[in-house]
Amino acid sequence: MKKLDIELVNRLGLHARAASKLVQTAARFDSQVWLTHKDKRVNAKSIMGMLLLAAPCGSVLTLEVEGSDEEEAARAIVDLVSKRFGEDE
Amino acid sequence: MSLALTGTGVTSGIAMGKVRRIAPGELTLPEYSIETAAIDDEIARLRQAVQRSDDFLARILERIDDTGGETARELIEVHRLMLHDPMLIETACESIRTERINAEWALAQQGEILQEKFQRIDDDYLMLRGEDLEQVVNLVQRELASRTSSLLEIPEPRHLEDTILVAPELTPADMTILSQRRVSGLITEHGGLWSHTAILARSLEIPMLTGVHHAAELLMDGEAVVLDGHYGAVLVNPDEGLRRHYSEKLANSRKHHIEMERFLSRPSKTADDKTFHICGNAELPMEFRRCMAAGVEGIGLMRTEYLFLDDHIPDEQEQYRAYRRAIRTMGGKPVTIRTVDAGSDKLPDAIAMKLGTNPALGLRGLRLSLSITDLLKTQLRAILRASVDGPVRILLPMLTTVDEIGRARQLIAECRRSLRAEGIAIDPELPVGGMIETPAAALNVDAMATELDFMSIGTNDLIQYVLAIDRQDEMVAYLYDPANPAVLELIARIVESGRRHDTEVSVCSELAGDAHTARLLLGLGVAHFSMPPAHVPAVKKSLTEASADRCREIVERFRRAGHQDGHRLIKELQEDGGVR
Repeated sequence: MKKLDIELVNRLGLHARAASKLVQTAARFDSQVWLTHKDKRVNAKSIMGMLLLAAPCGSVLTLEVEGSDEEEAARAIVDLVSKRFGEDE
Repeated sequence: MSLALTGTGVTSGIAMGKVRRIAPGELTLPEYSIETAAIDDEIARLRQAVQRSDDFLARILERIDDTGGETARELIEVHRLMLHDPMLIETACESIRTERINAEWALAQQGEILQEKFQRIDDDYLMLRGEDLEQVVNLVQRELASRTSSLLEIPEPRHLEDTILVAPELTPADMTILSQRRVSGLITEHGGLWSHTAILARSLEIPMLTGVHHAAELLMDGEAVVLDGHYGAVLVNPDEGLRRHYSEKLANSRKHHIEMERFLSRPSKTADDKTFHICGNAELPMEFRRCMAAGVEGIGLMRTEYLFLDDHIPDEQEQYRAYRRAIRTMGGKPVTIRTVDAGSDKLPDAIAMKLGTNPALGLRGLRLSLSITDLLKTQLRAILRASVDGPVRILLPMLTTVDEIGRARQLIAECRRSLRAEGIAIDPELPVGGMIETPAAALNVDAMATELDFMSIGTNDLIQYVLAIDRQDEMVAYLYDPANPAVLELIARIVESGRRHDTEVSVCSELAGDAHTARLLLGLGVAHFSMPPAHVPAVKKSLTEASADRCREIVERFRRAGHQDGHRLIKELQEDGGVR
């Protein structure tokens, strides 16, 4: 089980486009992926869960990954978030 | 011999199909318990419906070409992710198993639970995502309705293509189910033109007639009917000739629709290079999105009566959210919000007690708002608060005297002060305009123009007051003439006054949204038109092909010669108003 904090650095935070990319990335792996923001813990493979976190720019989320490919999954998600989901700003 | 029934067209559309009568409350989502042995089949039925919905979205995605833009593509992707979201489908499957209920019920339940979560967070962005969820749930319900379970008697009616539904009355909730099942047309015995249901029918573009007395007794299930919303008629068992006539009309209007779409991307200039401006009229959230798709320059008329329907007086926060959402949807284009225009034909029940003996001449529009200032103040505060999110203009309905403008402005200043004192940000430069729709305001327009930042001509009411006719009254409907010399005189006077005072004059009623009368307005010097998004293509075609100078000449010649038949003028503008 991997557990680490990640900060949302893209301007819009977890809006639909970012949430879609996160869900699509998490879904590529067999591991269970969870994100926690302000005591709300949701399945990162659920788009509605992601949206309902309502996490703006600057939020710090706790990422938990558990499963056979947890190393790769965690790396892919951290990479996506730190690269601002591919957004310009 | 065929029978014809009459009523009032809620929409002007045409529909053909077979009659299906329903009793009140009959139209519900099927909800029933299932046997343990049937659980797996029911779950499989839900999963298949999800798969078909996904195929449907995938086909849409293929059709969106690169010009459709990333936004449309991303939206469909979000819908697909929601469709496969474990919070929706897995949880629904779980309730089928544990509660032993049918798929439709389980899905609806889960949809509502999630919807509630979306609405609980005070955030417009999430509220819009709630709408996405609703569309996804509707899509799956539609697929479930097309392959119903073989286990049980299914509540009728489920599939409504080619069906004209006949009911004593319909509720807004019925409308959702009906649009899911793709009904062709609707006939009701009761219900007003400004009910929540009627507004929804117009927005969903479902042909509908209301006020068709005894329809449920006179029409038989399975009978073939034509519904003509334009003439407010139901033709029963139409003969071969009539059927052909209407089939052609339907086919033509579809073709016409596609042809018209081309005009949306044209610049707003007449054939002789005069600029005109097209804005949209909208009240429901989906209508603002349609206005954006039609490429309007802003919202010329946001009606707010909708918020007051069904015996409900919305509080400041609720109104604030509705306005803010409209403003955000328009992405920086100006939104003109009209303060509540309760009147003879669109009176919200919640304030109906103020009705006088002759509603058209009674306490309506701004008069009503100024008599219940608390109501108006709540609305003004909500509009002012929303004004930080984008350009907003306030429009005052039904002005009679200049003094009314002063009183409204005072209330606006009062609300502005109290909001500032509370430390709430507002837009300092919010224009205040007025509807010129009483003969008094039109005749006294110079004095009005000095007090207003912009003017909007309410031609529907103006024509009724000037000609002293109620258009709902069939006995005098023959007198209705939008180009009656007296009407022309007043519109010309308002436009001229606006020009002298450098005050914008727009028209946001029926005349602006009609391809023929739009040319009449152009000839009278109007340059700002506002209309429902569906009318934009046809009006834009008519105006881009028109010559503004030529239209002006035709109107002036008609007036100088003292001609009386306005219908002739409108025809002439249509035939000769283009470039020679």
